[in-house]
Amino acid sequence: MHRLQRRDFLYGMSASLGTVALNALLQAEEKSAPKTPNPVLEKPLAPRDPHFKPRAKACIFLFMEGGPSHIDTFDPKPALEKLHLKEFVREDKQVSAMASGKRYYIKSPFQHRQAGESGISLCEHFSHLSEVADELCIYHGLQAESINHPTACYHMNTGNRFGGDPAVGSWMTYGLGTENQNLPAFIVLPEVAYPQGGSANWSNGFLPAYFQGTALRSHGSPILDLNPPAHVTRETQRKNLDLLAKLNQADMQRHPHEELLAARMESYELAFRMQAQVPDIINLDKETRQTQEMYGLGQPETDSFGRRCLLARKLVEEGVRFVQIYAAGWDSHDYLERSHKARMQAVDKPVAALLKDLKARGLLDETLVVWTGEFGRSPDNGIRSGRQAAGRDHNAKGMALWMAGGGVKAGHRIGATDEIGDHAVEVVNPIQNLHVTLEHIMGLDDNQLTYFHEGRFKVLSQTGGAVIKELLG
Amino acid sequence: MRALSSLPVRKFFCLICVGMIIAIQFTPCSLYSEETKLSSQEQFFLQKIRPLLEHKCLGCHGKTPDDIKGEYIMLNREALIKGGESGAPAIVVGKPEQSPFWNAVTWKDETIQMPPQERNRLNAAEIADLKQWIADGAVWSDQKLIPQNSQAGSSAEIVMSTSGGQSPTWTSRTYQPEDIWAYQPIQRPAVPWEALEGKHSGERHPIDAFIQQKLNQKQLVSSKPADRKSLIRRATYDLTGLPPTVKQVDEFQNADTKTAWPQLIKRLLQTPQYGEQMAQTWIDVVRYADTSGFANDYERPNAWRYRDYLVRSFNADKPYDRFIIEQLAGDELDSEDPEMLIATGFLRSGPWEHTGMSVAAVTRQLFLDDITQSVGVSFLAHSFRCARCHDHKFDPVPTRDYYRIQAVFAPVQFADRKVPYQPYENIAGFAEMKVRTEKLIQETREEQQRFKEKTDAAIAAWLKKEGYKNLKQVDADKRPPLRWFGLTELEKSLLKINNKRIDYFERELKRYEPYAFSVYNGPPNHYQSTKAINLIPDLKKQEGELEQTFILAGGAVTAPTEKVTPGVLSAVAGSNDLEEPNAWNTIPSAQEGRRLALARWIASSNNTLTARVIVNRIWQMHFGTGLVATPNNFGQKGAKPSHPELLDWLATWFMDHGWSIKQLHQLIMTSDTYQQSSHPVNPEQVQTLDPKNQLLSHFPTRRMTAEQLRDSLLLITNELNPERGGPGVFPEINWEVALQPRHIMGSVAPAYQPMPRPAQRNRRTLYAFRYRTLSDPLLEVFNRPGSESSCERRDETTVTPQAFALFNGQFTHDRAIALAHKIRQETNSKPAAIEQIFQTVVLRSPEPAELAVTLKHVTEMQDYHRAHPPQKVSLPREVKREMIEELTGESFAWTEKLDLADGYIQDLKPWDVDAETRALAELCLVLMNSNEFVYLR
Repeated sequence: MHRLQRRDFLYGMSASLGTVALNALLQAEEKSAPKTPNPVLEKPLAPRDPHFKPRAKACIFLFMEGGPSHIDTFDPKPALEKLHLKEFVREDKQVSAMASGKRYYIKSPFQHRQAGESGISLCEHFSHLSEVADELCIYHGLQAESINHPTACYHMNTGNRFGGDPAVGSWMTYGLGTENQNLPAFIVLPEVAYPQGGSANWSNGFLPAYFQGTALRSHGSPILDLNPPAHVTRETQRKNLDLLAKLNQADMQRHPHEELLAARMESYELAFRMQAQVPDIINLDKETRQTQEMYGLGQPETDSFGRRCLLARKLVEEGVRFVQIYAAGWDSHDYLERSHKARMQAVDKPVAALLKDLKARGLLDETLVVWTGEFGRSPDNGIRSGRQAAGRDHNAKGMALWMAGGGVKAGHRIGATDEIGDHAVEVVNPIQNLHVTLEHIMGLDDNQLTYFHEGRFKVLSQTGGAVIKELLG
Repeated sequence: MRALSSLPVRKFFCLICVGMIIAIQFTPCSLYSEETKLSSQEQFFLQKIRPLLEHKCLGCHGKTPDDIKGEYIMLNREALIKGGESGAPAIVVGKPEQSPFWNAVTWKDETIQMPPQERNRLNAAEIADLKQWIADGAVWSDQKLIPQNSQAGSSAEIVMSTSGGQSPTWTSRTYQPEDIWAYQPIQRPAVPWEALEGKHSGERHPIDAFIQQKLNQKQLVSSKPADRKSLIRRATYDLTGLPPTVKQVDEFQNADTKTAWPQLIKRLLQTPQYGEQMAQTWIDVVRYADTSGFANDYERPNAWRYRDYLVRSFNADKPYDRFIIEQLAGDELDSEDPEMLIATGFLRSGPWEHTGMSVAAVTRQLFLDDITQSVGVSFLAHSFRCARCHDHKFDPVPTRDYYRIQAVFAPVQFADRKVPYQPYENIAGFAEMKVRTEKLIQETREEQQRFKEKTDAAIAAWLKKEGYKNLKQVDADKRPPLRWFGLTELEKSLLKINNKRIDYFERELKRYEPYAFSVYNGPPNHYQSTKAINLIPDLKKQEGELEQTFILAGGAVTAPTEKVTPGVLSAVAGSNDLEEPNAWNTIPSAQEGRRLALARWIASSNNTLTARVIVNRIWQMHFGTGLVATPNNFGQKGAKPSHPELLDWLATWFMDHGWSIKQLHQLIMTSDTYQQSSHPVNPEQVQTLDPKNQLLSHFPTRRMTAEQLRDSLLLITNELNPERGGPGVFPEINWEVALQPRHIMGSVAPAYQPMPRPAQRNRRTLYAFRYRTLSDPLLEVFNRPGSESSCERRDETTVTPQAFALFNGQFTHDRAIALAHKIRQETNSKPAAIEQIFQTVVLRSPEPAELAVTLKHVTEMQDYHRAHPPQKVSLPREVKREMIEELTGESFAWTEKLDLADGYIQDLKPWDVDAETRALAELCLVLMNSNEFVYLR
């Protein structure tokens, strides 16, 4: 009887939704030996009610790996004009070697412009984003803790600087399940080169493997081993599967009490179906030329990120709960002007298109879009190789992020950094509060979304936190 | 000067009040306050308000008068109401809204927000309590609160003797006896032989008596004895991680029933593969890897010597108490003994890195926290991490103990210590590997030289053009940017990538030098993981003070409070050295000998945790679940023992038998409980009464671990090279993952290249080089744990990526061809080949119906393969790399040569064999994917 329910879940959902594809991660199956009587694990990916009325049902998390400079993107600091190249002296004792030696203030090489009715100022290289400035809730009060890339990435993604804990997307899907049983609940669209710290950035940590982020790779096989080696045809594979089913069936009859056998057999059938349908789902050719143009497809500087933004929109439309996209290369210790300009241009058009497209489809209200790096950048620099190479170093105490959609306070700047952008001074919050806020927007209460592990009920915020109410509309 | 904060008041408070939480003593008016009747307001104060003040306020506002923050004393009612330096009363009794005190804790007033740190902020319930308390008259009481009699079982509640919490409330709190079982002395319970009534006394086994006793209580019955094939398969996997051979199965099935089983166990315990299987289990706990993790994930040259030490130790059946001492304090025990220095690799097995961007004090603390946690979970089944920031919420682990244990490791400094390779260490591959590394370094250096020459030429040209003779003539601020001058963007990027490659290969080169990844005692030595090798500094440079240990408020290095001296976990019976110091529970404060003392405290029959913890781990190896289902957590929130008497009986027996793990296996495996079938006699009854099979009415079925799966497949195809030990080898992994660029600090890591000859790469998984940030996906999907935190028990999830990996992946396809090829050589007909394929993979003959259907399958497949010869697929000789350059913000690409592609000998491939072999391989592939193969029953 129990087993029947599972079948119902596995096939019933798929059938009723028509398109199969990547099946819900491949993972809408059963855990062999549940160790805890956690009701979620009975149907790990089935949609679940949030704790209260959510502002958003899905989240697209744009991760700017390397640490974008807030000063040169969303947080202009005119005071640096006067201080430019004057010596900067830091008083903190606990600083890294990076901040040692003679250091100088560096002004932003960019102009900032006011945009939209709200008059939010954005860097001149965000010309497309300016068109949707009124959708943005820019936040200047967040503070990270680590100034090392992998630990800071882990912190932003999992709440734990040392890795090994579940990612935000894993917690969200653990809390809410997913709307589409035929797609993974938590999808990651990385750069060709994985970020520092690797796939631990989308790990399920101590949560069961159903909640792991699935990376859809942009080169090669989108999912590892989705296809058999070149010489194997679908026909021979089907025959092998049939034989496997027969042998497994006989084995199951010999061991009728072992419930885990059926789940394992079913996973092979799901795999076989996904093999046929995944390529279809991720195919962007069917999108109109106009849409492709809008996202910057086919243009060298925007193609990579544009494709993934467009795919993210498609996935959210299909009911995927959480999509994370990486855009690397923001670590501008040198040549800030050139490199940050290029990075902004790489994401500007696709991100603006994503917001416009979501809005046009009526999805922006129920989709939370987050744009952030793992930390911000310093107002000063050691100027290691002459003045024209000026860049900025890492800064955990001052950064910028923005959110859009999902009931955030659109068209506002919240919080502030000090007059040189060194550290946050208004509406200051640690990352754990951002995590609690993201949960809140999705209708989840950090205190209630728990998983028992290592002797305590773990939460995304690690030790608890508060909603940043200022960010909510 | 730094720009001024726009909110100076707040900043001021942050500076003066960095999370100080200091123990203070209330003076109780009456020692026997149960005689006094408390008003409800007093009760409320004592239950809710006083603990709140202790935890959140008194750290800064309750110390000695000259150290009080903001001149505000909160030690008594009068002072609390009176307020601090502002002069205004802090509390307006009865009127919370008008009380600055209440306003401060609500954080509504931007000028004063208390407690000042975000993480310490009061929650809504606490604020409401304070509001009510002020409204009700701010009633104070100095009585000592005695637990209410209304609480269940209060008469049996126990106060634990510990080194003391940060508040008297914590120190004097009580525990339910069942929650603190692990701190009580290990008992020597009588064996409940009566549970085995009806059995001849010669056939009775103590384990069965304990198990049967519980089954009887639920009226459940044990299963029948397992069949012999299942038994030998079960035992061989448990003790070696590998399947038995067909011949071994046959011999066992035909041998004398009575003696064959104990002999089999004995034989298996003597195989060298036993140590490999056990080392793998221990590695799960201690998180061994060959790299350091984090930004660079640099190789740790010679870390493998610790891995091989583990194999040797288990094979030698090193007494477990000795094993503990060697890993914790081998260097203190005998620094002349190579094995002892290698053993201390344990101390450094966690991820750790210090880069130019790290703060030294923070990375040092990272190590201290890591080792404290690691010692706790590995040997004592205690996750101490909770006590880093506060007294443990549930367990009798004061934060003071956390830092006392940490102080044991304060003198520990990292060093690569010169330890000659021993004759029993495998360095056979060194010569060949070293030549390759040197060649790679040389090639990369030559390329760097070309870039340097180009830069030099460009600078010379610039000087000439500007009319200078040399750079010295040019004012510093007029010089061109010398780094990368004259190089194209691509050349700049390549230069950086090459620098990183050299870094990598130089570490690799240290693989071949006789260092041990070890430690010594001394003052701080500024160790950097950015250097390939760090030796013990000269004695002169070792001068300076030993690191002192403080309780860190909130676990933050920036907030040291009270100084502590080294100590042990004081809640363990007889271990509170502050009350009853003795030679066993006291740790010296000298530089040398702290770890040895801690190790001896752990590795002692007096320690109530140690023997129980290891016995439980061994039990879990055999039954899938421990007698305590959470082997890393024996605290209140861990699982309770399913068979507490058996656990203690086994622990006592284990210590009586010289802490011998091998004898413990023998004991467990000779029980009927271990030898019973995986079929419950009455499945429905079991489903109702004991659905998780905690009482072991039948043997629990489990899936092979990831490593067992890979090793088994290599073994049954005859491809496994049984060579033992040596530096990590590089097997074939999914090629897409191997060539996937890995972003490391400022660059990408060199491509992963498998070793060129099958014998080099087809080794046991234990010997595969273990990166922290690059995982063999086959192993990962089958639940191999990451190497960040200790894994107490493998998960066994069933997810579709496993089907992709095992049914589509290159690894299984290669093994299928290899097996088909081998069997085709050994047989002369299809039915015979099919028979042998079944025998080899699932250790039995096919049923007649199975033979018919598989024969048909193979025949059809042969027709297909005859008509469709496979295209040869060549391996890549180079890989196109692509990443976003930080200098330009633009994507760039380059080509990395795969130097091992020349002379790479592929495993047997479909195009190497005929159609019949390929057809048989289809059957092999199917069987390798079958439930019968992957599950152990």
